[in-house]
Amino acid sequence: MAELQHVMGMPVRVDVRDGGVDPGAVERMFAWLRFVDATFSPYRCDSEIARLGRGELALRDAHPLVAEVLEHCERLRRATRGAFDARARGSLDPSGYVKGWSVDRAAAMLAAAGARNFCVDGGGDLVVRGGPAPGRGWRVGIRHPRRRDRVAAVLELTDGAVATSGAYERGDHIVDPRTRRPARGVQAVTVVGPDLATTDACATAAFAMGEGGPAWTGRLRGYEALTIMSDDRVLSTPGFDRLRPREGQDPGGP
Amino acid sequence: MRKAVVALVVTVAAVILLVGFDTRPPRTLNPNSALRAKSTPRALARPRPTPSRAGRRSATGPALVTPFSVIQVRATLMHGRLVGVETVTLSGDGPHTEAINARAEPLLRAEALKAHSADIDVVTGATYTSRSWKGSLQAAIDKARG
Repeated sequence: MAELQHVMGMPVRVDVRDGGVDPGAVERMFAWLRFVDATFSPYRCDSEIARLGRGELALRDAHPLVAEVLEHCERLRRATRGAFDARARGSLDPSGYVKGWSVDRAAAMLAAAGARNFCVDGGGDLVVRGGPAPGRGWRVGIRHPRRRDRVAAVLELTDGAVATSGAYERGDHIVDPRTRRPARGVQAVTVVGPDLATTDACATAAFAMGEGGPAWTGRLRGYEALTIMSDDRVLSTPGFDRLRPREGQDPGGP
Repeated sequence: MRKAVVALVVTVAAVILLVGFDTRPPRTLNPNSALRAKSTPRALARPRPTPSRAGRRSATGPALVTPFSVIQVRATLMHGRLVGVETVTLSGDGPHTEAINARAEPLLRAEALKAHSADIDVVTGATYTSRSWKGSLQAAIDKARG
């Protein structure tokens, strides 16, 4: 059972390989993501986040999850002694956190409905559980930065999240506004971790760090990363090798 | 001379600052990394005259929340041209942050970029880039331009 919908500004595809899972669970999962978009998107002028930002909505009248997310933001603001302010520039924008958080919760909804073998693909960032067939995990191809029809590396994962930040498509480059050339250093960073919220954040940060990114990913505990540098060098954390499919493995098992 | 200045600014911009949440001064992370030594030999090998800082402007965009930390994008412009983008990580809390801040020398493996055509179920690395991050960068650029 697979379904693709466009929600939260990206294609979201869910692929459930278990038999007997209620198709309504997939529908409820998409409904959840539409709710998150409608509630948290700072790009929708009628979202609760946008209305809160404009002072048109009181927090006590907002959805409880809004308060929960903003509470997290406020805790971080205090922890950073004001360096973080969710109202910087007068508008709230927790979307960098909300995307991974909402896909994690979407995956939890499928699991609660009895799914054990599934993949949720949110615009190329993934949460996987189990495998697509008995005896093996999900084979995840890391898209080649310059050859769209190829993958640069493959990993196999049974439970976890995969996020990639990179300059893949026209318009997605971080460009010099005058030369219109991409920012230098890194073509793409792929991070594997336990949940998408943190994994996505790590991939975004490592990509932005450029040449310093691989060293930073090397210090993350519980995460593995593969970075494709601008000069086509590939740097990966040692544990990343354990994620590669074993050569000669029979996909169907014995 | 201008090239030298730009090269140095890029080197400086490439340095990642980690600011502890007790607001200690920024410290240079991993200055002796083999990776860094390899990647920036020219800028570091020879002493150069102190470049003029005229024309160089940096600014930081709004913060991006992650579950364990706060990330901000910092843009450096030289004569209006974007010469550096870095992410300033402001620590959050917990052991995870400590792990990030640890100065352990990373072990990284290097290999050549290969293109495979293996059997795969799903692909990571698509069209989506965090609008949040791009927004923070754009704001930083706008701020640096004044």
